[in-house]
Amino acid sequence: MARIAFAWELGGEFGHAMACSWLARALQLRGHSIAFVFRELRQLMALPETAAFDTFQAPRPMREGVAGAPPASYADILLGAGYADAEELTALLVAWRSLLRNWRPDIVIADFAPTALLAARSLALPRATFGNGFFTPPPLSPLPAFRYDEAVPPQRIAASDAKALACVNAALAAVGEPPLARLAEQFEADEHFLCTFPELDQYQNRPATGYWGPRFRFDRGLDVEWPVGQGKRLFVYVKRTMPQLDLLIESLARSPHRVIAFIPDLDEARRARLAAKSRVVVDRPVRLDRVVRHCDLMICHGGEIGTGALLYGVPQLAFPITYEQFLTARRMEQVGAAAWLAPGAAARDVAGAIDFVLGEPRFAAAAKAFARRYAAFSPEEQRRRIIQRIEAILTPSPTGREASQ
Amino acid sequence: MARILCAWEFGGDLGHIRRLLPIARELRRLGHEAAFVFLDLARLGPYAAEGFEWFQAPHMRLPPKQNPSPLSPSDVLLNLGYADAAGLAGALMGWRSLFGLWQPDLVVCDYAPGALLAARMRATPTVAVGNGFSLPPPAAPLEAYRPWNPVEANVLQRLDEKLLATVAKAFEMLRAGSPPRAAHELFAGDSHLLCNFAELDPFGPREGVEYSGPLADSVSGRDVAWKAEEHPRIFAYLKPRDPRFAAIVAALRKIAGEALVAAPGLTDAQAAELSSDRVRVLPDALKLDGILDSADLCISHAGPGFAARSLLAGVPLALVPMQLEQFRIARRLEAAGAAAMISPDDPPPDFATWLTDIAARSDLREGARALGHAHRGYDFDQAAARAAQRIAAALPG
Repeated sequence: MARIAFAWELGGEFGHAMACSWLARALQLRGHSIAFVFRELRQLMALPETAAFDTFQAPRPMREGVAGAPPASYADILLGAGYADAEELTALLVAWRSLLRNWRPDIVIADFAPTALLAARSLALPRATFGNGFFTPPPLSPLPAFRYDEAVPPQRIAASDAKALACVNAALAAVGEPPLARLAEQFEADEHFLCTFPELDQYQNRPATGYWGPRFRFDRGLDVEWPVGQGKRLFVYVKRTMPQLDLLIESLARSPHRVIAFIPDLDEARRARLAAKSRVVVDRPVRLDRVVRHCDLMICHGGEIGTGALLYGVPQLAFPITYEQFLTARRMEQVGAAAWLAPGAAARDVAGAIDFVLGEPRFAAAAKAFARRYAAFSPEEQRRRIIQRIEAILTPSPTGREASQ
Repeated sequence: MARILCAWEFGGDLGHIRRLLPIARELRRLGHEAAFVFLDLARLGPYAAEGFEWFQAPHMRLPPKQNPSPLSPSDVLLNLGYADAAGLAGALMGWRSLFGLWQPDLVVCDYAPGALLAARMRATPTVAVGNGFSLPPPAAPLEAYRPWNPVEANVLQRLDEKLLATVAKAFEMLRAGSPPRAAHELFAGDSHLLCNFAELDPFGPREGVEYSGPLADSVSGRDVAWKAEEHPRIFAYLKPRDPRFAAIVAALRKIAGEALVAAPGLTDAQAAELSSDRVRVLPDALKLDGILDSADLCISHAGPGFAARSLLAGVPLALVPMQLEQFRIARRLEAAGAAAMISPDDPPPDFATWLTDIAARSDLREGARALGHAHRGYDFDQAAARAAQRIAAALPG
């Protein structure tokens, strides 16, 4: 049986850990050994099945995202994550290689894990990417822009790409490995489990590729019933650091709607302001598969929870904070199923937004149409196929990679 | 031969790597296999060619609010994520997996409480090393950092209890037995090595403790030399981010004699702008051999590495500590009669007058010379070899 290492290097929250755990647990039941090499280990305490895995801290720089301008391409993200300094990237690369050499995986599954991919490549290990479109850049040179709310000079995209590539090649040289010709080679893999649909892919410039469907897990968490009553049913999942949190809480508290809200680590004063007979405020992730069946609106930041809910035909009001969320919200808007508000949106817009989306039947209609289009999508089938593909990569066939090497 | 992991979690600057790198090299020379687990890996980047393996130490999330003046060593850990049991349990799980993978026979811990706790879970022997600041005396409760600002004992007691309660909760989440019962166990290994001189121990002097001497990376630094025979010769090693930096450089230009200022962090242009004929400001670390011996006065923040260098050179010090560890070291040097200092809370003096006075003080010159004399012949390479031997002697069976 094989040894399978999951790597998560960039990004935050629970989505990466939940999705990897769901896949890894199934692989483990088939007899494979699992390692999680993760950016954050704290989340695993809420996923008891991961106690049966080897869990390691992923190499990460002490300072991240200190580059001046907001990122416009994957190369810009890299420059803010240790790729602006050859010695720093060398240190990260050595740490990945040390771990992979000692744990000896047969395949590395990379969830937003560029340096894990680089290390696996340098050790000639089979590898796959696993994640939404934002985590897997199109294989173009230079790595293309994902920013489209403002003009990005092509020279800037090329310069970032060249700078990150120079750093990568210096780090490869420091560990005695040959250079890359293009930064895109870092992301070459035996398979890309691109877990989204083309309409929701954050990159609108990706050459033709396969899509494996969203991967947000809706089948675990706290069981919560919708409060009884007459109002519309709103599910709220936002961070307490969201700039318009108080405005949102005020709007909800004044509305006749029924609410289930999960706002992690919400302070008591705000919790008390929001909670009521018709508004349930919970302190841990909610099991969503039943909740979304009767949900009239989801209010979130626009991450994978949003695209997941779209598959159940739930329209969205998104408050994107990160650029990834902004891109996802824009894509859901293009589908016709979402409205979104920027972090700087005016108070009256926030107050009116909920009734606006609920009052325009086109949002719900578009969400339902989207759900119908992908009615045959099954997370279990997605997982079955991913496992089948991983095992095919692991099993050398006469025409497979072993023979071709 | 044995497998020895060298772990460093907390504390900034170069002191920790300058201690652990020479130790690891010496352990290797003794035939052992050494590897590193660091929180800040970037420091290791320049040493890739030496072929050591290294790993990422588990990160913990910092609490939303941090106390800028922690009261005790327990308070510091609570500020670094040790108030969050789930976060700590995640980190300890990471340490435990790594120990399971690499199978160390011994873990050397340089301010690495996570490594100490995980080693405790699997009964792997540990040696705690440090200059003293990360090895607080084993009192219960742990002593206040600022004994000159009285803190009620029950306040310190509560900090220790809070720390131990989180650790116990994390142990329970991982189904691990025997959590520590006293806060000092998060700092102390099965044995420890005070890699410092007694006179520079921030918690010194301690009774019944062996000081095995400071370690340093003997390489590194740009060569410079004094230009002329003008005195006083003042050597300054300063962080440009200190708000007093500009005033000190300006004062040096007013004083007769010659000055060299090592200010890593400045750009070349900034350094050139600040330089004059008699005052050379350099944006790099400098090679100190040959410079310090013929200096009349050193100016520094009382960082432990440079303090040891100037002590060995027998040069008096004008100290401008920026943080608590430096402040405690500065107090020790002041008590030894080899330094004068301005505390971070003091209003800055007229630096030209202050420095001129110190340079003229024969008592400090003699105090510093006596300290240097007491450690005459001290050799950093031998100290590293000695430390490695002591560590190897702690190996089981």
